[in-house]
Amino acid sequence: MNVVLAVKQYISKMIEDSGPGMKVLLMDKETTGIVSMVYTQSEILQKEVYLFERIDSANREVMKHLKAICFLRPTKENVDYLIQELRRPKYSIYFIYFSNVISKSDVKSLAEADEQEVVAEVQEFYGDYIAVNPHLFSLNILGCCQGRNWDPAQLSRTTQGLTALLLSLKKCPMIRYQLSSEAAKRLAECVKQVITKEYELFEFRRTEVPPLLLILDRCDDAITPLLNQWTYQAMVHELLGINNNRIDLSRVPGISKDLREVVLSAENDEFYANNMYLNFAEIGSNIKNLMEDFQKKKPKEQQKLESIADMKNVKRLLQNPKVTECDAARLVMLYALHYERHSSNSLPGLMMDLRNKGVSEKYRKLVSAVVEYGGKRVRGSDLFSPKDAVAITKQFLKGLKGIENVYTQHQPFLHETLDHLIKGKLKENLYPYLGPSTLRDRPQDIIVFVIGGATYEEALTVYNLNRTTPGVRIVLGGTTVHNTKSFLEEVLSSGLHGRSKESSQVTSRSASRR
Amino acid sequence: MASLDDPGEVREGFLCPLCLKDLQSFYQLQTHYEEEHSGEDHDVKGQIKSAVRSHLSDFKKHRAARIDHYVVEVNKLIIRLEKLTAFDRTNAESAKIRAIEKSVVPWVNDQDVPFCPDCGNKFSIRNRRHHCRLCGSIMCKKCMELISLPLANKLTSASKDSLSSHTSPSQSPNSVHGSRRGSISSVSSVSSVLDEKDDDRIRCCTHCKGTLLKREQQIDEKEHIPDIVKLYEKLQLCMEKVDQKAPEYIRMATSLNAGETTYRLEHANDLRVEVQKVYELIDALSKKILTLGLNQDPPPHPNTLRLQRMIRYSATLFVQEKLLGLMSLPTQEQFEELKKRKEEMERKKMLEKQASLESQRRLEERRSDLPSRANGEVVYLRRGSAPLRKAEGWLPLSGGQGQSEDLDPLLQQIHNITSFIKQAKAAGRTDEVRTLQENLRQLQDEYDQQQTEKAIELSRKQAEEEDLQREQLQRLCEREWEREREQFQAASLHTRTRSLDFREIRPFQLEPSTEPCTHLAHALDLGSSPVQSSATPKTPSPSSALEPIRVWSGPPALGQEFLPQSTMSQQREVPSLNPFEEEDSSSPTAEVSTSPRAAEPSCGPPSHILKEYNPFEEEEEEVAVAGNPFTNSNSPAPNPFSEEDERPVPGNPFEEATCTNPFEMDSDSGPEGEEPIEEELLLQQIDNIKAYIFDAKQCGRLDEVERTAFAGQMATPNLERDDYIGNVSGGGCFKANLDVLPPPTPSQSTGSPGLQVPDCPAAPALAAGRSLL
Repeated sequence: MNVVLAVKQYISKMIEDSGPGMKVLLMDKETTGIVSMVYTQSEILQKEVYLFERIDSANREVMKHLKAICFLRPTKENVDYLIQELRRPKYSIYFIYFSNVISKSDVKSLAEADEQEVVAEVQEFYGDYIAVNPHLFSLNILGCCQGRNWDPAQLSRTTQGLTALLLSLKKCPMIRYQLSSEAAKRLAECVKQVITKEYELFEFRRTEVPPLLLILDRCDDAITPLLNQWTYQAMVHELLGINNNRIDLSRVPGISKDLREVVLSAENDEFYANNMYLNFAEIGSNIKNLMEDFQKKKPKEQQKLESIADMKNVKRLLQNPKVTECDAARLVMLYALHYERHSSNSLPGLMMDLRNKGVSEKYRKLVSAVVEYGGKRVRGSDLFSPKDAVAITKQFLKGLKGIENVYTQHQPFLHETLDHLIKGKLKENLYPYLGPSTLRDRPQDIIVFVIGGATYEEALTVYNLNRTTPGVRIVLGGTTVHNTKSFLEEVLSSGLHGRSKESSQVTSRSASRR
Repeated sequence: MASLDDPGEVREGFLCPLCLKDLQSFYQLQTHYEEEHSGEDHDVKGQIKSAVRSHLSDFKKHRAARIDHYVVEVNKLIIRLEKLTAFDRTNAESAKIRAIEKSVVPWVNDQDVPFCPDCGNKFSIRNRRHHCRLCGSIMCKKCMELISLPLANKLTSASKDSLSSHTSPSQSPNSVHGSRRGSISSVSSVSSVLDEKDDDRIRCCTHCKGTLLKREQQIDEKEHIPDIVKLYEKLQLCMEKVDQKAPEYIRMATSLNAGETTYRLEHANDLRVEVQKVYELIDALSKKILTLGLNQDPPPHPNTLRLQRMIRYSATLFVQEKLLGLMSLPTQEQFEELKKRKEEMERKKMLEKQASLESQRRLEERRSDLPSRANGEVVYLRRGSAPLRKAEGWLPLSGGQGQSEDLDPLLQQIHNITSFIKQAKAAGRTDEVRTLQENLRQLQDEYDQQQTEKAIELSRKQAEEEDLQREQLQRLCEREWEREREQFQAASLHTRTRSLDFREIRPFQLEPSTEPCTHLAHALDLGSSPVQSSATPKTPSPSSALEPIRVWSGPPALGQEFLPQSTMSQQREVPSLNPFEEEDSSSPTAEVSTSPRAAEPSCGPPSHILKEYNPFEEEEEEVAVAGNPFTNSNSPAPNPFSEEDERPVPGNPFEEATCTNPFEMDSDSGPEGEEPIEEELLLQQIDNIKAYIFDAKQCGRLDEVERTAFAGQMATPNLERDDYIGNVSGGGCFKANLDVLPPPTPSQSTGSPGLQVPDCPAAPALAAGRSLL
C-alpha cells in the first residue's frame, strides 16, 4: 500500500519495456504531474529518457531515432492527438500507455491510424492519480462540487482516479461512505459501478479481510483545513503552497534564480523525507527562513486556539491590528463553526468587528459560506458532541494541554473516524456500507478518500496510525491537498455562500446596527 | 489478462519476487516488499505489483486490417509509377506519353468533375483540369503535385529490390524539392500549359504524392542512421564498459589499499588507465553529441539541441557518479609499506591469537593449580593483607597494563578471568563468580609480586645509575634548565604523570582502546578497591616519602615492557622529574633537599638526553633479560614484547594510554594547573600514608606504622599545613589510597639517601627493602 511506489513501478516498467536507446516521454498535462511526482529528471535520464514532450505541443520535431513512450490519460483529446501523431509518426516506435481504462472503440481508431506500424505496445497502466506521499494521493481537483453535488466532470475524474488507485494497489474493496454527504454516496456508487463493469480487472487474489474504501466529505470536518498545520510539509504548504511537490518561491523577494521553484520530494530529498512529518518546531532551526515566517504566525495562532472559547478574546484578537485579514476571517469562521447553534452566539457581533476591521467582503462572505459548507446541519457526525460551550471548547481543544508538544494542538477529526474504523466501532448508521455485504473483521487495508480535499495534517494522522497500529495500512486520498487558502477557494467555488439563513441574518443585523 | 504478477500463483508460499524469501502471509510479503525493496529499482522483468491491461492484441487486429488496405494502396501506386517511368520519357512525344499514361490508369471523365475536389474551385478555360497519372483523378493546377523522375526511381527501385543501390538518401529529399521548385519556374516560363511536356516529372494529386512521400520517408529512415545515433551507440558501449570495469577496479584498489597481494599493482594501474580512458572517451563523445550540427546553416530544431544537451548532461552525471567511486591506487612505495604493515598486522594477530590461546591454556592450568597453592602461604599472605596487596598490585598491574597489557600472560589471565566473572555474573552463577574472583585475587597477588620483584631489581640498577649521574647533574643549574624546558615539559609532564597514574589512565584512556581493559579495571575496582577512582589524578604526587615507592614501581613496569625508542624520555623523567617539578614550585624545603635529584630529571632532554638515554636503554635491555626470570610465565611471550617495542600497533591500548592520549589531553593543562594539583597531590599522599598507617596498624605491623608516620610527617611540611593531616580522617578512602601503596619497609627506606623527600632513589630502596622482608 504505497502509492508512490505503485506509480513509480508503472513508469519504470514502461521505460524498461521500451528497451535500450534514446527515448522521449510523451505526456499530457496531468500525466506530466503524475510522473514528476515519482521520478526526478536525473533519475529518468539514467534510463535513457532524454526528452519530455507534451502530446499537445505543436512544435515537435521529427526524430526518428527516438523511441516514444506515451503515457496519457484516456481522454478524447488525447486519443485525437495520438491519432494524428500515428498518422505522421515523429518517432521510430511508440509504446502507448493509458493511465486508465480506454474504450475499445478508441483502441480501434488508434489502430487504424497506425498505418506505418509504429506502435509496439498499447496498455493500461493505472497511474491515474498524484502520489504525494507513500500513503497520500491527490487528484489535484480544486472545486469538485457545485453546492452539495458533484460537478459531473469532476465526479468522473474522481471515479477514474479512485478506481485507478484501487487497481494500482490491487484492491477490490468494500465501500463505506459518509451518509450525510450526497457527494460521498454518489462517488461510492460510481466506483462500485466501475468495479462491476470491469470485474475482470478487479479480480485479485482474495484476501482474508477484504480491503475497505471509506469515502468522506470535507464538510464533515471544515476545521482542520482552517487551522494552521504544524508539520514541516504542512507548514510549507500553508505558507508557500506545494503543488505536485513543487514550491513556487518566485514571489519571495531576492530569491536566486535556481530557487524559483523548489521540488520537495521525499523520494529524493533525504531531509524532506526525514522531516516531513516532524513537528515544525523541531526542525525549525534547520530552515531559518521558514522559521521566521513560522514564528511570526505562531503567537497569534496559539492565542487563537487557546482563547477561542472566550468571546472577549476573540474580539480582542480581532482588534489586534497584527492579525491579518485572512487570519481574522479564519478566526471568526472557527468561532462560527463551534458556536453555530449556540444560543448566545455572538457571531453577528464578530462579523461587525470584521467589517470594522476592514476585512473585505470576500472574506466576510466566506465565513457564512464555511458555516454553510461545514456547519452542523451538514455534518453527519458529531464533530462537537457535547452541547454546552465549555465542553465544546474542551473537546475542540482536546490535546492542547497535557500533550508533550505544545505545537500539535489539534487532532483532526479523521483520526477519530479512522480509530473507530480500525477498532470496528465506526457506526454503520453514519457510515453505511454500499451494498448488502458488511465487513465482519476489523479492516486491515483501508483507503480513505476525502471529497473536497485532504490536508497534510490528516496525512500525518494516517502516517502515525500506520506506524502505531500493526497490521493496519491506510492510504489517504483527496480531490486535492488543502491549505487554508485553497480550502477557502474550495468553499468559494462550491458556490454555497449567501444561501444560508445565518448569513442573511448576519448581514441584516449588522446593517441595522450600523 | 489483468495481472502479470502474483508470485504466489505460480509457486507455493509467499515468495518475495526479489529476494525469494518465503514470507508467512500475503500481508507480510507485501510489507516485506514495501519495506525492503521500495528503495530499489524495480526492474523485475515483466513483474510489477500493480494491475495492468494490454490492448495490444486488439490493437494489432484492427491495425492488420487497416494495414492490408494501406499496403495495397501503396503498392498499387508504386506499380503504376513503375509503368510510368519504364519508358524513355524524355525522348518520347507528348501524345505518346499521354497514351501510355492513360493506359496505366483510367482517367476520370472531365465532365464528371466540375469543381476541383481538393480546393473546390470551378474548372474553366483558365482553370484547367489536370489528371493524376497515378490514380486518374482530376484536380486543378494549384492542387497538382509533381513527382520527379529520381524520386520515382527511388521509390520503384526500393520496392523492386531494396538491395540494389540507388540515389543516396541524403540527396533525394533535395532532389524532390529541387525538382518541384524547378518545375514551378519552368511552368511559369512555358507560355502554354497545353504545350507543357512532362518529360522529367509525373503529375499526380496531393493524396498520391502524400502516400508516396511517406513511403519515401520510410525508405530513407531504413537506411539513414543519423550521426547522433552513431555517437550515442558508441557512448552507450563506453558506459557499459565502465559498468563492467569499474567494479573490478574498485575491488582491486580496495584490496591493494588494504595491503593485500591478491592483485598486482601493475594490473590495477593498467585497469585504472583503461577505465580513465573510457571516461575520457565518454566525455569526448558526449561533447561531440552536444555540439552536433551547431554550425549548420538552418540551425537544428530546438528539440534536437535539447536532446543533445540532455545526453551530454546524463553522460556528465554518469561520469561524475562513477568517477567519484574510483579510489586512487597506492604508489609502489606506499604499496610496499602497506604490504608490510599488513603483514605486520597479520603476524601480530597470529601472535595475539597464539598468546591468548597460550594464556587460556595456562589459565586452565592455573585454575587447577591455584587451589593447591592457596593452602600454602599465599593464602596466608592474602588473608593478612589482602587489600594492601591489592593496593600494591594496582600500580604494577596497571603499569603493565597501560603499556602492553596484551603481552603479559598474567595480565591476560587476569583479564580473562575478569571476563569470565562478568559472564558468570551475567549468567547469575554466583558460585562460579566467587571461585573466579578468588582466582582473580590470587592471580593479582602473584602478578603484584612479580611486579614488585621486577621493580626492585630495576630500581636497584636505577639507583646505581643515578648515583653516577647525580654528580654530573649537580653541576647544572637545574632551574635554568627547568625554565628552558618548561614548554617541553608542559606537554610531557602530565604525560608522565598519566603514564604513572594508571588508575586514571585505565578508566579514561584505556576504555576506548580495548574493552577488556576496562573490564579488568572495573573488575579490579570491584574486587579490591571501590574507591580507587576517587583518588585518581593526584596519586602520582611525589612529595611524600612514600611516593617514590609508588613512582618507582612504575618504571620497572615500564622498563620491562616499554618500548625504548618512543617513550624513553618519558620513562627517564617519570621517576624524577615529575615529583621534582611539583616540589619545586610548591615547597622550598623540599626543593632544597631534592635539588640534586631534581637536577637529574630536569636536565634537559636536549643535552642530557643521550646521557640519560643510554643508561636507561641499557637498563631496558637488562630488564628484558632480567625480566624474564621474574616473569616466568612470560616466557612464551617474548616475541610480543619485542614486537611491541618495535612497532606499536595502532589501536593497541599501549599506544593510546602512554603516548597519544596523555599528551593530547594534558598538554594544555600544563604548568598553570600545576600548583593546585600539587597541593592536592600532597593531600592525597597524606591520605595514602594515613591509610597505610591504618592498615599497617590493623595488620599489626607496627614497625611499618612508625616509618610510615614518619614519612607522612615528611610530607606535611611541604604543605605547610599540619591540619591537613587532621582533616584527612580515616574514612572510606583508606582502601583506595592504600591500593596505590605497596607496603614498604621503612627500615630500608631510611637507609636510602633520598628518603626524606619523594626521592627517586628512595623508591627502589624501599621496594628492595620490602622484598627482603
